[in-house]
Amino acid sequence: MIQFIIKRLGWALFVVAVVAALVFLLMNWVGDPAVTTLGPNAGPQQIADFQRKNGLDRPLPVQFAAYLGLVPCVRQGSRAYLENPEHPGYCGLLQGDLGDSFAHNEPVANVIAHRLPRTLLLGVLAIFFELFLGVTVGIVAAVRRNTWFDTGFMATAFLGISLPTYVTGPIFLLLFAFFFGWFPVGGYGEGFWDHVYHGILPAFTLAIVGAATYARITRSEMIETLRSDYIRTAKAKGLGPTSIVLKHGLRNALLPLVTLLGLDLSLLVAGAIITENIFAWPGMGALAIQSIVNLDSPTVMGVVLVFSAMVQVGNLLADVAVAFLDPRVRLGNEAS
Amino acid sequence: MPSTPRTESPLKQRLVGLSMVLVVAGLVFGGYSYWPAMPTAPRWLGAGDDTPRDGGTFIFHHESNVRSLDPHIAYDELSGMAVRLIYDGLLDYDYDSNLIPRIAEALPTITDEGKTFHFRLRHGVRFHPLPGHPDGRELTALDVRFSMERLLSHTTGSPGFPFYKSIEGAEEYHEGHSDHVSGIRVLDRYTIEFHLTEPDQTFLNAMAMTFAYPVAHETYEHWGAEANMHPAGTGPFVFDSWERGVDLRFSRNTHYFLPHHPGPDHMVFQENLQRAVAFMRFLNGDLDAIHRETTPDYLLIKGAPAWAPYRLEFPHAQVFGIGMNCEIAPFDDVHIRRAIAFALDREGWARARAGRLQPAGQALPPMIPGFDANLPNLQTFDLTRAREEMRLAGHPDGLDDEIEVWFTEGETSRFYGELLQQDLARIGIRVRIRQVSFATYLEQTGKPHTVAAFSTGWNMDFPDPSNFLDILFNSRSIHPDHSENRSFYRNPEVDRLLDTARSETDHTRRIALYRQANDIVSHDAPWAFAYYPMSFEAWQPYVKNYRPHPIWSEDYRDVWLDLPRRHAERPLFGTGHARNVAATLFPFGGLR
Repeated sequence: MIQFIIKRLGWALFVVAVVAALVFLLMNWVGDPAVTTLGPNAGPQQIADFQRKNGLDRPLPVQFAAYLGLVPCVRQGSRAYLENPEHPGYCGLLQGDLGDSFAHNEPVANVIAHRLPRTLLLGVLAIFFELFLGVTVGIVAAVRRNTWFDTGFMATAFLGISLPTYVTGPIFLLLFAFFFGWFPVGGYGEGFWDHVYHGILPAFTLAIVGAATYARITRSEMIETLRSDYIRTAKAKGLGPTSIVLKHGLRNALLPLVTLLGLDLSLLVAGAIITENIFAWPGMGALAIQSIVNLDSPTVMGVVLVFSAMVQVGNLLADVAVAFLDPRVRLGNEAS
Repeated sequence: MPSTPRTESPLKQRLVGLSMVLVVAGLVFGGYSYWPAMPTAPRWLGAGDDTPRDGGTFIFHHESNVRSLDPHIAYDELSGMAVRLIYDGLLDYDYDSNLIPRIAEALPTITDEGKTFHFRLRHGVRFHPLPGHPDGRELTALDVRFSMERLLSHTTGSPGFPFYKSIEGAEEYHEGHSDHVSGIRVLDRYTIEFHLTEPDQTFLNAMAMTFAYPVAHETYEHWGAEANMHPAGTGPFVFDSWERGVDLRFSRNTHYFLPHHPGPDHMVFQENLQRAVAFMRFLNGDLDAIHRETTPDYLLIKGAPAWAPYRLEFPHAQVFGIGMNCEIAPFDDVHIRRAIAFALDREGWARARAGRLQPAGQALPPMIPGFDANLPNLQTFDLTRAREEMRLAGHPDGLDDEIEVWFTEGETSRFYGELLQQDLARIGIRVRIRQVSFATYLEQTGKPHTVAAFSTGWNMDFPDPSNFLDILFNSRSIHPDHSENRSFYRNPEVDRLLDTARSETDHTRRIALYRQANDIVSHDAPWAFAYYPMSFEAWQPYVKNYRPHPIWSEDYRDVWLDLPRRHAERPLFGTGHARNVAATLFPFGGLR
């Protein structure tokens, strides 16, 4: 197991490194951040100064090496400078330094530290909705399979999977926030419970697709499990239906959901980028869009790295959890 | 023995499936029929007391984000909105676009044939709390000099530098060859003088720009690179906080130097709010003013009589068109450029944009001196003349090759591209639309021999024709790497007229020179001028004393709030479909 985890961590780091290199190249290809940051009327001298100050006048491989922390640089206050022979040192990704945001004028790590908890809150709420709705609907549909109930729920689930968040988001916002007034029209609020209140609608939007998927998978797994011999034995022993379904059936049916939950992180991350912008939720997704528009490449890099790390960690945790939950699953060398 | 799954007959399964289709269809049509109508009247009204008073929080927004609160760096429109709450200038504009003194006691005395400007500062103008001065301190002429030198310094990298180059010694100081700008002289605590190398009729306009707003040296000495997050000026509002990309908060400056003007206790500037969300918030009463609506939202407010007292539509001091690089074929031929200028159906564009723009046929917008509705060479939609120009260019049947026109990203840009395609197809020119990021657009169109044609525009810095004609069409604005004259248009006669006008002290003669230059530019068509955009703003009934400023975008300095606001009694869901199930079951406003 340890070997498996180390191997997976190695792969995760490799994937994150490849993502970093790709995003770095893309951001440099899109345009000159100096022009976007300084505005349309910045003179050539200002542009040159900005580029020099931020190391953008260096060849691309040097810039990437500096980003990784392989080129001497020094951090003064909140800014990192490449040119400072008097204070040789290193700052970069390998030193845990994500660089400085052009737009925010502070270390990217600070910006992300501020935004990440909000996206995590949204993610936790969304996962709660996904599991609660998806599993409940899946169980009911499985127990009452091939009834109006089942068909109705599954048709709704199909609709949920088919509708992207950029469609459901504005509809929910208009209907539940604007017309009915049950929720605020976007925003984040002040204080923890207000954050939660503001987060319900965007989290629900984010959860729709996942909930529908969970419902379908729970249903099929439950149908399979409820047909098993041991369930029949439990029935023969006189166990009540609730106990059979929840205690014996659900426990086994949930196993695939654990894997799905890990994979789900990537969907939540992708969804957050859209949902946060629709609902003016000031998290990582909104930060990603703002940074892309501002060509704030260090922030874009930081956000993408954190997102990709989250996805990798999610996948890894899912694999490990499955191995723990199901003794039949063998990992790495143990499998052989 | 395996358990036998319960199965349904195929007929029943089909019936269930069919029923579900009917249910979904019913939901869609039912939902459409009963979908609540958008409210067409304000939800909140004022208290009904017309006595101006302090209090409340004014909340406004923008769909983009503020770049900087450093007046020497901020150059974009919405950064300017925030900067103007915190800072004040020596000069300002009134609502008729006239220059007025603000920190200055009066307009400056101008001597030495228009080369020396002598400013007297008001006494008792105080900075907001500063490091080492928790109650602020008085602004003096030394602060003005510090601010101007910081603006002109090479290390600041201010995009405003070109506006002040005419100050004697500015260039030497900028290049680090002197410790002070020789043309800026502090005569006493409240008097400062500016000497220019040559008469510059736009200098006072430049002094009213936000770049010239005085800052305190303590801010930069104490905060260094983080000074941008600790702005302190002398303006009507004190900076409280800024969560980047989310909102900025301000409190009323209780020590403001001008006679007390009632206003909100606090201001909140929400950033990055999508237009649709902003509109919903506005109708909900969560935002106090709105601008830049989507077209359906614009039409809703414009068509609602109840909103009539609380909205205003007015032309914006901007001009948009199609820029053509005069150094790249086929646009090096003036006849091709003119053909394109005559082929634009500007009225059609205005109709397509629901009347949100005015047709343009010249570089200067209507509110700028030098604008002439009867310009001899005004660009107009005239297909006969367009075809004649194509014939003169040797292409009576149109161009063989497709032309590529650059646009920035976004649906609206693409829409304009499609209108252009439609118009130019009539004279045999096929257009390929290329959409690029704004940064790429700025970078590439400013380089010589790079981009042949592009959608372009200019937003006024100050209400003077030089701000359009000099920057966009003087050959001095051509630079090897980064030209503001992006059409690389060179006409010695235009240059001569613009250079003469810049220092001409007689206003009438000066404007006549600009009018002449404007006419030549229109005739030479480095741009096919297309339209002047219209601004449309609305505000809540309880927001008092707001009127859009002709120079400053969304300038809310003078508003006061008629609070407590009260819920409107009129039906909020309008009529017709509005009397629907949702409105009955869920009262508007709900749980909030």
